[in-house]
Amino acid sequence: MKKTSVLAFGLVAATALTSPAKADKLDDIISSGTLRCAVVLDFPPMGARDENNNPIGFDVDYCNDLAKALGVTAEIVETPFPERIPALMSGRVDVGVASTSDTLERAKTVGMTIPYFAFQMAVTANDKSGVKSFEDMKGKTVGATAGTFEAIALEKSVKEWGVGEFRPYQTQADVFLALSQGQIDATVSTSTVAQSNVKSGKFAGISVVGNAPYDIDYVALFTNREEYGLINYLNLFINQQVRTGRYNELYEKWVGGEVPALSVNGVYR
Amino acid sequence: MFSYSFHWNQAFKALPQMLDGALVTLQVAILSMVIGLAVALALTLFRLSGNRILSGFATGWVEIARNTPALFQIYMAHFGLGNFGIHLSPYTALLVGIAFNNAGYLAENFRGALKAIPETQTRAGRSLGMTSLQAFRYIVLPQMLRVAFLPATNQMVWAILMTSLGVTVGMNTDLAGITQELNARSFRTFEFFALAAVIYYVIAKIVTLAARLAAARMFRY
Repeated sequence: MKKTSVLAFGLVAATALTSPAKADKLDDIISSGTLRCAVVLDFPPMGARDENNNPIGFDVDYCNDLAKALGVTAEIVETPFPERIPALMSGRVDVGVASTSDTLERAKTVGMTIPYFAFQMAVTANDKSGVKSFEDMKGKTVGATAGTFEAIALEKSVKEWGVGEFRPYQTQADVFLALSQGQIDATVSTSTVAQSNVKSGKFAGISVVGNAPYDIDYVALFTNREEYGLINYLNLFINQQVRTGRYNELYEKWVGGEVPALSVNGVYR
Repeated sequence: MFSYSFHWNQAFKALPQMLDGALVTLQVAILSMVIGLAVALALTLFRLSGNRILSGFATGWVEIARNTPALFQIYMAHFGLGNFGIHLSPYTALLVGIAFNNAGYLAENFRGALKAIPETQTRAGRSLGMTSLQAFRYIVLPQMLRVAFLPATNQMVWAILMTSLGVTVGMNTDLAGITQELNARSFRTFEFFALAAVIYYVIAKIVTLAARLAAARMFRY
């Protein structure tokens, strides 16, 4: 009798001990009541700060929507581009809502969802540089934000051209500062960022001169690679955002114009 | 809480690229040290000159170089001067920034070293018929350099580590720049950063040891 009760106690204790370990990240988020999103706040209109220093932007709204769907409160954790992964790996954030291009190389490290946004690449040039199109950038000093899809693509172009110089800056603001000072002649950035920076009036003497012939930059939410439960939820959430028209609504609010399609022709995601 | 599986083989594939970067790092550090030493010597002479403008200039330089962050100095060399239409490439801006910082610290090193040399030696030299310049050149300067040598190697190590700030002004050929780029491409942050840290450590260690050996040879009595 005594033996059985000890055994029973042991079983109960073992279940109690092992069951929390089985809770995945999705459970953790729901039970903690907080969703911590890594958002880049130096990337208008996706992420920025308003006059009162509050985070605003498409990605911020997207995180808030996600938190609402999960029934938790959203916490925006500012992470510059290079710090997105360290923030995730060290457990400071749960999900990245940070305009992250879904390259295969990166997907070896983190788990990517289906695309939640798509960027077209635009060329912005200093008015004195004489750059009037993407082709004119050949042989010039060009720059982009280190670690972004467009920086990787532009550096490759410069290498192929064999002339000119490529400079990666740490923030989008530094790129446009360097551009308006004439330190670089032109940059490739997402068209949304280009329009927003040119319109802001903070950087004099620059204009958007055309599109860059790079692939459409599909960006995904990301979390730990093995968190299938959460990735599954995020995929459905992205799908629902489009289905319910919320995606269009947010696009209209922050960007405006033709809403980019998130699906690719001729292939399943 | 730390969930990350290390893929060292991916990182080691990039090792040759990182070592190329390390050479650039070392090159910037050495150049900045050479320029820094020359300027520091000039600043020391300015402060000894008794001319108020020259010594004021030297004091101003030392004050700014020692009491503002190196990051700020490098950033100013690129974006600050850029505002006035003076465009330094990332490499030059980094070199100028670190050389500026080195000169300030080394000038203070030299000042400390000068204090260690009794004034009576200069007077002895003068009484032997040397001019004050000769007394400085043949009696004070050699001893000053000897006293300042090991503290100066400290600055050399510091210069190597400061080159990593070049990424803020768009430097992409040094060790930190290459590491950042590899990281952005693959997101294998921890492998690349750990590898870079080891390389920095090894370079710094080699420089310190080489300086010790050189000092032991040069300053034998």
